[in-house]
Amino acid sequence: MAEKELNGIRMQKFQGILDSMRDDPKVLQAVTGPWKSRVVWQGGLKAKAYMRKHAVELDEPEGLDATDSAASAHEQLLSAVGSCMTVGFVINATKRGIKIHDMEIALEGNFENILKWAGHSPTGHPGYPSIKAKLFVKADADEATLREVWKAAVEGSPVAQTVARPTQIVTEFEVL
Amino acid sequence: MAPTTKLFPVSVVGSWTRPVWLVHALRRRQAGEISSEEFNRIADDAVLAAIKYQEDAGVDIITDGEVRRDNFYSFVVEKLSGMKLMKVSELLDYMKDRAGFEEILRALDVPAFAIKSPIAVEKIHEREGGLTLDELDFLKAHTTRQTKIPIPGPYLLTRSSWFEGLSDKAYPTREELAKDVVRILRKEILALKARGVDFIQLDEPSLSQVVYGDEAEQTFMCAALGSRKDPADELEFAVRLMNETVDGISGVKFGVHICRGNWSRKEDVLLTGNYGPLLPYLMRMNIDQLVLEMATPRAGEIEVFKEYRNEKELGLGVSNPRTDDVEDPRAIVQSVKQVLKYFDPDKITLNPDCGFGTFAERCVNTPEIAYRKLKVIGEAAELLRKEFA
Repeated sequence: MAEKELNGIRMQKFQGILDSMRDDPKVLQAVTGPWKSRVVWQGGLKAKAYMRKHAVELDEPEGLDATDSAASAHEQLLSAVGSCMTVGFVINATKRGIKIHDMEIALEGNFENILKWAGHSPTGHPGYPSIKAKLFVKADADEATLREVWKAAVEGSPVAQTVARPTQIVTEFEVL
Repeated sequence: MAPTTKLFPVSVVGSWTRPVWLVHALRRRQAGEISSEEFNRIADDAVLAAIKYQEDAGVDIITDGEVRRDNFYSFVVEKLSGMKLMKVSELLDYMKDRAGFEEILRALDVPAFAIKSPIAVEKIHEREGGLTLDELDFLKAHTTRQTKIPIPGPYLLTRSSWFEGLSDKAYPTREELAKDVVRILRKEILALKARGVDFIQLDEPSLSQVVYGDEAEQTFMCAALGSRKDPADELEFAVRLMNETVDGISGVKFGVHICRGNWSRKEDVLLTGNYGPLLPYLMRMNIDQLVLEMATPRAGEIEVFKEYRNEKELGLGVSNPRTDDVEDPRAIVQSVKQVLKYFDPDKITLNPDCGFGTFAERCVNTPEIAYRKLKVIGEAAELLRKEFA
């Protein structure tokens, strides 16, 4: 008999996967990483990112004299944060047997000092000092329970926590 | 039932707040897990509660609370063939200016999944049973008060149901869709009249978006609205559709309800502006009563009515449905006295600014506060009757 799904997840199978991360060092290693992305310049302000069998294009808005053929890196960063928290919310809700009818997360951020990026300021933080993320959710649970699920999703999100904590960018350099 | 001769009758704009169990049943119906018949059996209890609250609060002209509806206009998708209920998040894929529309949703604090629109994807036809006849039948069977049935206005239904890329195969233009909308609404009105409804309210909140809202072609105002043209053209279109809808029909009172939005308790995301720009057009609509939002400060000055003294009846909004504060009846009396500069006492009905549950999943108040708000309106009406009898 096929396993029942909740929120599109076969929880029994998925819990099995989560348990194997705890119990099997090889599984844990595989999930830990390394996770990779190869970003290849496409000319102008465009790039294409290759991640496993997937490819995603990135561009910049027309205001930067770019072609705006795809979302920018800083927008896709917000999307990555939101998407990871969405996954976390769905998993945590499903573990509790909560049916989710709809959810969406609206994110936004303002650069603290974009002039640093533009080369007009030697100091300052060119990125988002903070990111707002508002969850809208319709699910079969009371607000207190859903808040707990949201908290678990935010605190357990690899992407959100990477963004939220000081993360080293370890660079290398090679000229051909 | 004969129209009331009571001065300052108390009414409601329409929607009541939904209990959680009814929202769950609504979701199950929308998911196809229960039939409409099963849902309606569950909803009957919610309607009875809405009726009781209104009657106990002293409301003279009551509704069934619209509690069977997902929202005040999208319910038609189950009553008409050729329509598809689509979330705004799904409509985003068809928006010409997706970024602009997303900005509007953000500014208005609306989640894209929460608002559903009935989109005409084929030629629309009424199904057996009409749009609201079941609501009226159940209401009349359980009350001796006067009955009001709100229905979506012809402009709202046309503008929210026609989307380029989805509707244009069946209806090349929205004007073509409007012909069927008017036909269907007229048929519904005649059926409601035959069943003895006292008041039919046509909801047209999107008219306030035309004059106060952003100028985007596709925007949001209690509904995802596509295909906007010049404001004057839009308002003329609305007047024409309204008059075509009610043309030649007598023996029932007609009202038009226009507010500035009721999807959020945040006042700063709702529209602002007095009724001045709309009144020249509203006065040309062949309806009896303007059911308006006047309690909120965003409604502006009452003096805009000075050129239109007694031309229409006024369903005066005297209570904000979105706040926890329960108004003071003496303050309501003072507000009404300001309005009496421009309307005779027998022209005024008292009601809240809007409903308490315009959207089933985003009700703006609790039943307890809604009841208390209606009760003080009733108390204010009594004070006014003593003074002006």
